[in-house]
Amino acid sequence: MFNRLFYREKGLFLQSFHPATVLVYLLVLLILSLIYDHPLYLLALFLLLALLIREVDGLDAWEGFLKAGVFLMLVVMMVNPLVIRAGKTIIWHGPAVPFLGKLDISMEAIYFGAASSLRLLVIISIFCLYNLMINPDRVLNLFSRVAGKSVLVITLATRLFPTMVRDLQRIREVQQLRGVDFDTGSLWQRAKKYSGLYNVLLLSSLEDAMEIAESMQARAFGSGRRSVYSRNILRPRDLFCLGGSLLALSAAVWGLRYGYGRYSFYPEADFLIKDGTTLAVLFIVLFYLSVPLILSKGWKHCRFLKSKI
Amino acid sequence: MPLFKVENLTYYYPGTEKPALKNISLEIREGEFLLVTGGSGSGKSTLARVLAGLIPDFYGGRIGGKVFFRGREIRTLDRRKLAREVGMVFQDPEKQIVQSCVEAEIAFGLENLGLPPDEMSRRVAEVVSFMNLSPVQQAFTASLSGGQKQKLALASVLAMQPRVLILDEPTSQLDPVSAEEILNVVKRLNEEMGFTVIMVEQRLERCFHLADRVLLMAGGEIICHGSAAEGAREAVRRGLPFVPPVARFFACLNSPVVPVTVKEGRELLQSYLKGNIAVTKPDVPRRNHNSNIKRAEKNSIISLKNVWFGYPGGQEVLKDISLDIKEGEFVAILGENGAGKSTLLKIMVGLLRPGRGRVYVQGKEVGRNGFKEIRKFTAYLSQNPNDYLFQETVEDELLFTMRNFGLKDRGQVDEILHRLQLEPYRRRNPRDLSSGERQRVALASVLVTGPGLIILDEPTRGVDLGLKSELGHFLQEEAAKGKTVIVVTHDVEFAAEFAGRVVMMFAGRIVADGEKHAVLGRSVFYSPQISKLCRGICDGVLTFAEAQEQLGPLLAAKPAVLIKSTGEKAIWGRAGGCTPH
Repeated sequence: MFNRLFYREKGLFLQSFHPATVLVYLLVLLILSLIYDHPLYLLALFLLLALLIREVDGLDAWEGFLKAGVFLMLVVMMVNPLVIRAGKTIIWHGPAVPFLGKLDISMEAIYFGAASSLRLLVIISIFCLYNLMINPDRVLNLFSRVAGKSVLVITLATRLFPTMVRDLQRIREVQQLRGVDFDTGSLWQRAKKYSGLYNVLLLSSLEDAMEIAESMQARAFGSGRRSVYSRNILRPRDLFCLGGSLLALSAAVWGLRYGYGRYSFYPEADFLIKDGTTLAVLFIVLFYLSVPLILSKGWKHCRFLKSKI
Repeated sequence: MPLFKVENLTYYYPGTEKPALKNISLEIREGEFLLVTGGSGSGKSTLARVLAGLIPDFYGGRIGGKVFFRGREIRTLDRRKLAREVGMVFQDPEKQIVQSCVEAEIAFGLENLGLPPDEMSRRVAEVVSFMNLSPVQQAFTASLSGGQKQKLALASVLAMQPRVLILDEPTSQLDPVSAEEILNVVKRLNEEMGFTVIMVEQRLERCFHLADRVLLMAGGEIICHGSAAEGAREAVRRGLPFVPPVARFFACLNSPVVPVTVKEGRELLQSYLKGNIAVTKPDVPRRNHNSNIKRAEKNSIISLKNVWFGYPGGQEVLKDISLDIKEGEFVAILGENGAGKSTLLKIMVGLLRPGRGRVYVQGKEVGRNGFKEIRKFTAYLSQNPNDYLFQETVEDELLFTMRNFGLKDRGQVDEILHRLQLEPYRRRNPRDLSSGERQRVALASVLVTGPGLIILDEPTRGVDLGLKSELGHFLQEEAAKGKTVIVVTHDVEFAAEFAGRVVMMFAGRIVADGEKHAVLGRSVFYSPQISKLCRGICDGVLTFAEAQEQLGPLLAAKPAVLIKSTGEKAIWGRAGGCTPH
């Protein structure tokens, strides 16, 4: 049931990037989502992410991620107006509450809460895109050269996790049929019942670990210096995407230096579009960030581009 | 110069006083296919590990005697060098995969050998192509089927390009189709690519004929090694079950030629019975009629009416299943992987609720509480006996179940330990026992409540022929006492030998259900070896005992054939291994 939330190889263009490229691209998106305050800029990032997620056939998964984010979003939107007093446009004079003082709800505080929630959704969407776009195994492979053993431990843990979940379910069923009721008894009794369950899992896992170790030994693990098998290929598409990411970051930093992308909510909210340059900077940043999307569309519809990237 | 030369090898596992291998002397030629067989604890897997250099390096323990590989003592060889020459594939595919991606798993051994990237890429590509793993090359290993995982394990060893391939029961955890696929690859590797193959195996009917030489082991010693026919004769002489049914049939006949395949067997049988072919007609309808009358008189224990089931977000697993199982029946449920067999069992024991349809146990509909209502009456043994074992002693394991059900009669513990021959292990930790013994402990832990319904999911997986036979007889005894036994299995031979009724499932539906002769006797693919041997010659025969009964008189009436062949008239059942297993 949770499978759709995790990476699945679909053979899509956006899944064919080098993991380093994807990491850089998503990192740039993350940095921009953190440094931008401007609601319009955040909204643009959100829409771009929506298009990218659609392109990796992940709207289902995104829905799952967003459901988790909506709760946090509501908390932010509700708490912010209650505790912030900096807004000038008061839309409701509430009663005095102990600790919080007088509850004056301002328009600016609601606006800030909404913008913060949008930032939250952008960040959640970035993680969603990571899950859809990049095979975690390839990311680990990327770090094999610098931290081979740690990577192997993480890989083994990743590999064994689904097996252990399955085993736990099976052992639970077996114990239920042997008369164990996990949903009855005091907290202590329940803990005892669960300890039996985890005991079986631990004992079996330890035995299995010996067998895995034996198989590793049979394949010469630990017999000397290892080499690294890299499955990652660097293509022109990666260079375009890396270039786009770095240019987007540079343009964003330049813009921020001159205040484009910044936004003040208090005491009174700024104009959403101060001048034409606000839109121009946004357009440039967005264009560079759209490189993977443009390439993906080109891959589908332009034979020339397909042959070159 | 032989590839392997073993001289007076004796080995003790750490902390044991009984040798796992005793005075083994053996030579293995380059390019040979050596089949090593024997019972649980006979030392066959230990021998395989010695030849792979894992004993004593990985296990420790005391070792005596010498093992040479290409003239050099194996212990003096560099581990990396040895891994390049000798590859080993283990029993359980789940427990030998390290990486989470297929391609990375194949490259794992190559990385350990420190090979340059170009060489690794070439080897991975070759192996992926040879093993036909391209469709799953980028897949997660967790998403593969058991058969695919074992293929991957074999591929990751082959990528290291060893000269020798050691396989320790590589098909024991697989369904028949996947097992066949693995064995076909091994055959190709030996015949077309010159690999030396040393295979430890229990599923003899599929690989006996592939072997150049068969090594039969018992109690840590080699008790026979020779051609497949010689091995079959010796096993029969010693009363051991480690012979495929066709070979045992003819070895019991004292036939000068012991065929190891159905084809050879049929040719020989036809030559013996020349002019007497198709002497018997199937008596399935009569058997069916009688058993139907008897069944109708008995109480219904489990009844499923138009049961449908699908996992959330998944496809329908069970489609309109209706099944009525009576008291005292021994039912085997057969079918391919994914046919819905295990799901059906879970519905029967109340662990799952059907989407549509009704389930009755002992005439009462299984309600919302499902398993809680029927568990005291039901013994359920899952595929993995280790799931049951976590107490300090075997006795505690049984007492745990009794306590949960509020039972106090310790006499039941004594009785079940006695019946399953577990008394000597009463105070032992169940995790210290062998796999066969663990299975008996797990079975005892669910039978101690005296249930009327015994349900087992794949109980013969990875179990040796001797233990399988003991289990079959035990279950038959329970059925004879009026208990209902339901077994899900891939093992057609087991179903044919011990069950009374066979249900065949395919894609969530029951496609055949009836007395075993009616179902298995008509099937070409789901029929035991003896049935394949007798088809068209003596129809309706499923088991070894039936073949003896039906063909014995016919062959006795043709003494000339046998006298001419063996110089003496064959006497059925003279050799110890001629009793049904």
